[in-house]
Amino acid sequence: MEKNILFRRGIKRQKGSLIGISLLVFFTVLSLFTVLAVSLNGNAYIRSEMERAGFGQLTAWVSDVPDVGDLLQEISSQEGIGEVQSQNIIFSEYEGNGIESDSEGQLILWQPGETRYRFLNDDMDGYRQAPEEIRQGEVYVSPSMVSIMDLQVGDTITFPVARGGMNVDLTVAGYYEDPFMGSSMIGMKGFLISGADYGQIIETVEQEGADALARSGAMLHIFVQADGEAEIDQINQLLNSQTSLPEYIVEIHSAYTIGSFMMILQNAFCAILAAFALILLLVAMVVLGHSISGIVEQEQKNMGILKTLGVTGRTLVLVQEMEYLAAIILGSIMGTFAVIPFTRVISAMTVTTTGLLIPSGIPVLPCLGVFSAILLLLGGYAALRMQRILHISPMEAIHDTAVFMRIESRRKAKKKSTSVSRGIQKNGLVFHLAVRQLLSGRKRYLSACLVACFLVFFASLAGRMNSWLGTDGQGMMDAFNPADLDLGVQAMGELSEEEMEAVVRSYSTITDSYDLAMPTVSVNGTNYTANVITEPERFHISRGETCMDPDQVVLTEVTAADLGVDVGSTVMIRGDMGSREYTVSGIYHCANDMGANLGMRREGYLSIGQDEPRIWCHHYFLEDPSQKEAITSALETAYGGDVHVHQNTWPGLSGIITAMHLSLAFMYGMITVFIAIVTVMAGKKILNAEQRDLAIYRSIGCSAGMLQVSFAIRFGITAFAGAVAGTICAAVLTDPFVSAVMRLAGISNFASHPAISNLLVPGAAVTLLFFASAWLLAVKIRRTDMNVLTAE
Amino acid sequence: MNTILQGKKVSRIFRQGSMRNTVLDQVDISIYKGDFTVIMGSSGAGKSTLLYALSGMDPVSGGKVFYKDREITSLKEKQMADLRAKEFGFVFQQTNLVSNLTLFENVAVAGYVGKKGSTEEIRDRAGRLLRQMKIDKAQNRFPSQVSGGEAQRAAIARAMVGKPGLLFADEPTGALNRSNTTEVLNLLTDLNRSGQSILMVTHDMRAAARGNRILYLEDGKVLDELRLPPYNEIREQNRESQVSGWLSGLRW
Repeated sequence: MEKNILFRRGIKRQKGSLIGISLLVFFTVLSLFTVLAVSLNGNAYIRSEMERAGFGQLTAWVSDVPDVGDLLQEISSQEGIGEVQSQNIIFSEYEGNGIESDSEGQLILWQPGETRYRFLNDDMDGYRQAPEEIRQGEVYVSPSMVSIMDLQVGDTITFPVARGGMNVDLTVAGYYEDPFMGSSMIGMKGFLISGADYGQIIETVEQEGADALARSGAMLHIFVQADGEAEIDQINQLLNSQTSLPEYIVEIHSAYTIGSFMMILQNAFCAILAAFALILLLVAMVVLGHSISGIVEQEQKNMGILKTLGVTGRTLVLVQEMEYLAAIILGSIMGTFAVIPFTRVISAMTVTTTGLLIPSGIPVLPCLGVFSAILLLLGGYAALRMQRILHISPMEAIHDTAVFMRIESRRKAKKKSTSVSRGIQKNGLVFHLAVRQLLSGRKRYLSACLVACFLVFFASLAGRMNSWLGTDGQGMMDAFNPADLDLGVQAMGELSEEEMEAVVRSYSTITDSYDLAMPTVSVNGTNYTANVITEPERFHISRGETCMDPDQVVLTEVTAADLGVDVGSTVMIRGDMGSREYTVSGIYHCANDMGANLGMRREGYLSIGQDEPRIWCHHYFLEDPSQKEAITSALETAYGGDVHVHQNTWPGLSGIITAMHLSLAFMYGMITVFIAIVTVMAGKKILNAEQRDLAIYRSIGCSAGMLQVSFAIRFGITAFAGAVAGTICAAVLTDPFVSAVMRLAGISNFASHPAISNLLVPGAAVTLLFFASAWLLAVKIRRTDMNVLTAE
Repeated sequence: MNTILQGKKVSRIFRQGSMRNTVLDQVDISIYKGDFTVIMGSSGAGKSTLLYALSGMDPVSGGKVFYKDREITSLKEKQMADLRAKEFGFVFQQTNLVSNLTLFENVAVAGYVGKKGSTEEIRDRAGRLLRQMKIDKAQNRFPSQVSGGEAQRAAIARAMVGKPGLLFADEPTGALNRSNTTEVLNLLTDLNRSGQSILMVTHDMRAAARGNRILYLEDGKVLDELRLPPYNEIREQNRESQVSGWLSGLRW
C-alpha cells in the first residue's frame, strides 16, 4: 500500500523529469525502430517480391540471341537447373526532360493480365489496380525516374532506336514498382511498354540493321533445382563453360546481388542512422543518470524521514525504479506506436530514390528484442544509480548531511580555492559570473557536456561524410570511377575520334586524355565488369602496383575477397575471344557493381577480347572544366544518338545526395529536440537550486536579461567543452567507422578531408542550440520571486 | 524636510484561488532624506511587504511609489534593475550573499553592476568598505567560511558600495547574536550620521531606538509615528524607554 502511495506521489513530484525521460526514450525508440523497420521490411519485401514475381536465383541479360527458345533449352538442360523463364526486352538509351541516360534502359513487354509488377498510384503513396492494358504510346516507369529525370505522369521519354533521328516518344502513364532494378542506385532501368510499341520497335531495329541503336534482348530468370546442392557461383561457372550464354550475355547477377543492389542505399543509410539512434540511447542514459542523481539529492531528506518510519532502502529503490520504468515504458510504447506512421512517411519520402514503397509494419520479433534490451539496459542502469539511496542514513538525511553530501561538500571546499583564483572582473561581468556559477556547480552541467560531446561527435561524422560526398557528389564519383576524368565521350556510330575531339577542343583545350572500356569478362568462372584502360597508371591503387604489363590485372578488395586471391596470385580470365592466366599486381578502388570489378590494361584485354571502336569511351581532362555542359550540349545537338557523353556524375547520384541531406536534416532535428529536452531537464533543476542567488543578483541591480544571458552562457561554455571533445573524437574515429559502413557499398577508400568550416559547424551548431535553449528556458528568471530573500 | 521616497495609497493584496489577503491597505508614507526611518509592527503586520513594495522589489496591487519624485511603480524591469543598482541598497535578515563569491567579490560585483566608477575605483571602494566594516581580513573567504556577523557586515558593505540614495534594511539583526547585533546597528548608525538615508524594518526595540523616526504598522496601515532626536550613545537607555513607552501605548 505504502509503495502505491509513494509511487503516485513520486510521479507527481517528478513529473517534469519523468516526462523528459519519456520523451528521450520516445525519440530513441522511434529512431531505432524506424531504422529497423525500414531496413528489415525493405530487405524482406524485396526478397519476397522477387520470389513472387519469379525472377529466379540467377538472372542473365542477353542480347542479339538468334533463338531465345534454343538458349532456354540449352540452359535448362544443365545439371542443377530447374527452370528458366524469359522476358522479352529491348535495350535502348533514353532521354527525358533534357537529361540523357548514362546507360541503356530496357523496354519490357508487358502483357495484359500479367501480375509480375505492382502499379503505384500517381501520388506514389499506395498501390492501384494494374491497368487492363498499356496503350500504344504509353509507358510505365519506376518511381526513381522522378529523382533521376524528374519524370512526371504526362511527360515524354525519348528512345533513340535507330540513327537518322528514328526516335520513339512514349508518354509516362504511371509508375510501377520494380523490385529488380527500381532503385536509383541501379543504372539499367526498366520501362513497361505495350505489345504494339514493342513490336514496332523490334521491326525498326530489324529493318535498320547496322543503323539500329536499340537491340533486342531478353531477361533469363534461372531457377536452380529445389533439391540441388550447387551454389549460385557454381551454376554461374557451369553456364559460362558449358553453354553458349557467354556469347550473348550483357550482364548476369544472382538474386542475392540484385537484392543487395536494391537495398544498398537503404542499408548504408540505415547503418548510419542506427549508429545515430545508439548515440541517442547513450544520451538518454546520461540524462537518466543525471536525473536520478538530482532526485536522490533533492529527495534525500524525505527518504530519511521515510526510513525513520520503517520504510526500507530497498522499498525506496523499488519505488524510484518503478517511477523511472513507467516513464521508460511509456516512452518506448509511444515510440513503438509512432513507428508505423513515421515509417509510412519515410517510405513515401524515399520512394523516388529506392523505387519501392517500403512496408510500414513493425518487424515484431526484432523490435521486441530491441525493446527488451532497451528496458533491461535503462532499467538496470537506473537501478545501479539508485543504489545510493541504500546508504542514506535517516538522521543525517534529515539534517541534510547525508554521507555523499558531506563528501561532496568536502570536495567542493577543497576545489573552491582553485575555482576563484581569477577574481570577477568588471569587464565581461556577465561572462565572469557565468563561469563562477559553472565552476562551483560543474557536476550539474556534466550531463549537458556529455550530451554535447556525443551529439557533436555524430553530427561531425555525418558532416564529414557529407563533405566527402560534396555538393555535386564528387567524392562518391571518385569512389565509383576507376580513374579520374572531366568528360567522357563514347561514339556509338560512325563518328570518328578526331571529329569528336575537334568539337571538344572548340570549347576548351584538352590537357590530357585516355580511353576506357567496360566489357564483361569471367574471372575464375564468375562474371565481372572489367575496367579496361589505355593508361593503367591512372587507376587508384591502394596496395601493390598497377597492371603495367599485359599479363597483369588489378582487383578491388571486394573481388579479391570473393575470389579468395591477393596480390601475387594468378586468375583465369575469359573474354569473348578466349581465356588466359593473369597475375594480380595490385588492389585498386572502384565501387562500380558494389566493388565487383577488375582493372586491366588495353593490351591485356585485347589478348582475350574483341576490339571494337564502339566499346571505348574517350575520357578527357579539360583546361576549362566549366565548359563541360556546353560541350555535352554541342555534341548531343550535333550527333544525337551517335554519341554518348557523360561527366563525372550519374543520375542516381542525386538520390544519394538527397538521402544524405534528408539524413542530416533528420539528425539535426533530433539533435535540436534532444538538446532542448536535456537543457530543460538540467536547467530547471539549476534554476530551482539558484532561486536565492538569482533574487540576490536582482536585488543588487542585475537585470533579468543580464542573468538570462549569464545562464545561457553557462550552457554555451558547457556545450563548447563537449563540442571540442566531440569534434576531436570525430576527427579520430570518423574514417575507420565510416570506412566500415562504406565497405557495404563497395567503397573501400573513404577518407574525409573536410574544410575547416565543415569541422567547426557541428560544434558551433550544438553550442548555439544549447545556448539558445538555455536562454529560452531562462526567461523564467524574469518571474523570480524576490520573497525568497525574506524567507527564513 | 526633503522627501526621498513616497508611497501613495500603496496596497498589496495576495490572492490564492478565491482567497484575498490584504496585507497593505492604501498606505500613505513618506521617507525623508537623511533620516533613519524604522518601521515596526507586530508579526504579520506587513512591515517587510511595505519595505519591498516601496523598494520596487515586489509589485504593488494599487497605489504609486515615488523615488525622488519619479514614479517607480510603472518602471520597466530593466529600468527598475538600473534604479536598484544605482540608487538602492538592500540588507536582509539572512545575509543573502552569493555563496560562490568571496566577501570581496560579493561587494565588488554589486559595484560593477552599479557602474559608478572605474574598476579600480570600485575595487578601492569595496576594500575601504570592508575595512570600515572590520572584515578586511576575511575578504577572500566565502560566506560559509565566516561568522553571521561578518557576513552581515559584508552584506552592508555590498549595499553601500554603489553609494545608494536609500538603504533598505529588512530585519538586519534578526539572525544575529547580541554582540553582532550591536556591531551591525553601530555600522548603520554611523552610515546614517554620515548622511545615508535608511529605511529599516525591525521588531527589535533596541534596533528601532537607533532610528530618528519610527512608524508603527498594524493591519496594513500606518497607525502611528514617533519622532526622536538623532541617536546618541550616552542617552541610549532613555531612548529605548521612550520607544518602549510609545509601543506600550500602541498595545505592542
